[in-house]
Amino acid sequence: MLRYVVSRLGLSVVMVLLATLVIFLIANTVPGDPVLMQLGDLAASNPATVAEFRHHWGLDLPLWHRYWIFLDGMLHGDFGESLVSRRPVLRDIADYAPATVELASIAFVLSLAVGLPLGILAAVRRDSWIDHLARAVSLIGVSAPTFWLAFVVLAIFYGWLDIAPGPGRLDPVSFPPTPITGLLLIDTAWLGDWDTFRDAAAHLVLPSIVLAGSTLGLITRTTRAAMLEALSQDYVRVARAKGLRGRAVVTGHALPNAMLPVVTLGGLAYANLLAGAVMTETVFSWPGLGRYTFTSAVAVDFPAIMAITTIVAIVFVAVNFLVDLSYALLDPRVLKR
Amino acid sequence: MTDKAKSDVSRGGLGRRPFIAGGGGLLAAVLAGARPARAQNAARKATLVIGLDISDSISLDPARVAQYSNPLPCHAAYDSLVTFSPGDYVNIKPALATEWAMQADGKTLRFKLRQGVKFSTGTPMTAEDVRFSFERVINLKDQPQQYIAHVDSMKVVDDHTVDMLLKDPTQPILSIIAAPEFIVMEKAVAVQHGATDAADAKEKDKATDWLNANSCGTGPYRLTGWQRNQSIQMVRNDQYWGGKPGYERVLIRHMSESAAQLLAIKRGDIDVAFNLIPEQVATLKDDPDIRVEGATSLDFIYMAVAESADNPALRNKKARQAIGYAIDFDGIIKNLIGGHAVRPVSFIPVGMNGSTSELTKEIGFREDLPRAKKLLAEAGLPDGFSFQLAYGNAAIAGVSYQNLAQKIQADLARVGIKAELAPMDQLNMRTMYLGGKAQAVLTFWNPPAPENQLWAAATIDRVSKRVHWDVPAAVRKLVNDASAERDNAKSAVLWKQYQEAMVDAAHHFVLIQPIYQIAVRKSVAGLQLTAAGWMTELAGAKPA
Repeated sequence: MLRYVVSRLGLSVVMVLLATLVIFLIANTVPGDPVLMQLGDLAASNPATVAEFRHHWGLDLPLWHRYWIFLDGMLHGDFGESLVSRRPVLRDIADYAPATVELASIAFVLSLAVGLPLGILAAVRRDSWIDHLARAVSLIGVSAPTFWLAFVVLAIFYGWLDIAPGPGRLDPVSFPPTPITGLLLIDTAWLGDWDTFRDAAAHLVLPSIVLAGSTLGLITRTTRAAMLEALSQDYVRVARAKGLRGRAVVTGHALPNAMLPVVTLGGLAYANLLAGAVMTETVFSWPGLGRYTFTSAVAVDFPAIMAITTIVAIVFVAVNFLVDLSYALLDPRVLKR
Repeated sequence: MTDKAKSDVSRGGLGRRPFIAGGGGLLAAVLAGARPARAQNAARKATLVIGLDISDSISLDPARVAQYSNPLPCHAAYDSLVTFSPGDYVNIKPALATEWAMQADGKTLRFKLRQGVKFSTGTPMTAEDVRFSFERVINLKDQPQQYIAHVDSMKVVDDHTVDMLLKDPTQPILSIIAAPEFIVMEKAVAVQHGATDAADAKEKDKATDWLNANSCGTGPYRLTGWQRNQSIQMVRNDQYWGGKPGYERVLIRHMSESAAQLLAIKRGDIDVAFNLIPEQVATLKDDPDIRVEGATSLDFIYMAVAESADNPALRNKKARQAIGYAIDFDGIIKNLIGGHAVRPVSFIPVGMNGSTSELTKEIGFREDLPRAKKLLAEAGLPDGFSFQLAYGNAAIAGVSYQNLAQKIQADLARVGIKAELAPMDQLNMRTMYLGGKAQAVLTFWNPPAPENQLWAAATIDRVSKRVHWDVPAAVRKLVNDASAERDNAKSAVLWKQYQEAMVDAAHHFVLIQPIYQIAVRKSVAGLQLTAAGWMTELAGAKPA
């Protein structure tokens, strides 16, 4: 087991480094000049100002030197200063990450809470109405563009029915508590500020449903397929032949074996939610990382891009690592190989 | 709706689809709790909530303001020495200074400060605060400094008199220092939080962090917080010299999507929506609770055509002029922005000294196809020519460059000019254009201050390089003379001549100068829009 863990861990570190290198090289081949994005028209036309700006941000150094500075900084936990916000990148990320983590986590829980049971029931009652429902839900979830879905739910539940709150994390006139974790639900619960808690929870409903949409569809379909396969196995037939009740066969015998692909997908889906909420965050004016990532990319803001890449790579690799570990727990054969 | 959902819970709680009914019920319960009596309570009425995309704001430290949205809160928290009133961008008005005059030496501008002005802390404003504020801007050397680079130093004469020493008095100054970058802050408070006006301020000044979330000015509101991409909070400054401001609090809510702003103002969650596009504004016409206000901006979308090394046709002046007579300018304004725009002759927007819509009809380009064909024939290109038109994948004031480019393409095709469209990333477009590598581009111009010299100098110094225009000495002299002329009537004549020269050179075709429209709930009165650079005057806003 230990060897398995160590070898996976080593591979993970290499993966993260490779990811940063690839992104660094890609970002450097973009023809756009980051200086022009940051300087006004007057400043950008003054060669001295441009040269000073390049020098200040190290843009005049050779490529390898800049990558070395990045690696060196990273080892010291310093990702430098953002060209766009002129603040330490880590401070930006610390400001924006909680909003995204909260939203993505709720969306993930939501897609699991709905997707798993729906997928299981769809497999158990194949071709029944619930199977059709599951199919419809996942089809809509996967194929509806997030941007469109976000507007539609906002227009219906906020604009028309007026039962959901509008964009943002809180009501326009209420203030966030001083951040402890930055996760509003946890902070307000900790402080016992239940009015703000309810406000924050309500503001999470629509964006998390929208964000959960595609993940929900994937989880439902994968669960259904895996369950169908498991249910057709010999051991299930044996269990049934022994006279076990249907529920026991499904949850006790088929489900654990069907979980392997779902865990893989679920892990990646969560990492995806963390990294890919740009559209949802834009429509719902959610002050999260997705939006920050997008603006950093547009402005070729190297320090920010590199920090986000590193963090996203670490999240993906960590999730993969956990998934790999859970394989070993779920399926003892993995260790024997 | 809520009641129905609740009954679903009791009916289906333990049924065969617990997760569906249970989930729906939970959702309804959470949502039901989320809609308190929002607009009704007193605190809400005393708060002005503004919906605005503030994602571009980097700093709320006035000395570092260089974006589009941050002048608004800065102007609300601080005052400048002089200002512009909404709609009049020619005549300078007093603000913290009540009078000013050039001294006999010809390079010292003396300001008399308003009596009885107090900062939000209650401390009286003095000439030393003015000196400190300006010298801090100068020594911080951030973007605003470049616009007052011709200010040599500030000198305190007495408590209510301050001198500004100019290196080059022919350069305009008053119109520039009206901007929210050049305000007066309370020295003692700023210094206490790390500010310095010393020569090494660029390295030593540490006040920006504090100034990003607080203010120490004389304006109607005081900054109390800023959560990036979320909101900016301000409270009433009870010491304000211009009378008691109408709201206890002002909240600027970040809303990046115009559609979300539209929903929010209809629902009353915000009182003012700034970033609506013309189609959305049109849907509000019949709303009994909302009125639409407009102000002609000083921004414009223009097409620049370069004397490109890659395209001999574009190096021919007559061929470029033909472009100007083949474009259906009125159709562009009517169809692409719903008629909510004006069009200046050239690079000086309508509303500035010497630029009006009437003058555009008189001396500007206009649709005249026979003339365009004649010009093409004179250029030796009777069958037309082709050129590449680059633009960013973006939209300004609800006008997408893509649609605009297609319209121009269709217009020019009528006389045989073929525009090859080259859409690209906005940053790549700018890199190409500023590098002088573009044949033609569609882009946008918004000025840091309403000052003719800033536009004109740009066309002869910077933009001319991008379009490879060898500016004639006569045009340079014209710009210098017009900028140095302090008599508005005389300078207007010179500016007209400058615009004629620009039309003749035919490198710039200004297409759309938008009339910005905002939506305001009728519960708000006295909110004035301005095109001077800070969007709105909040001092007079009050509950209706």
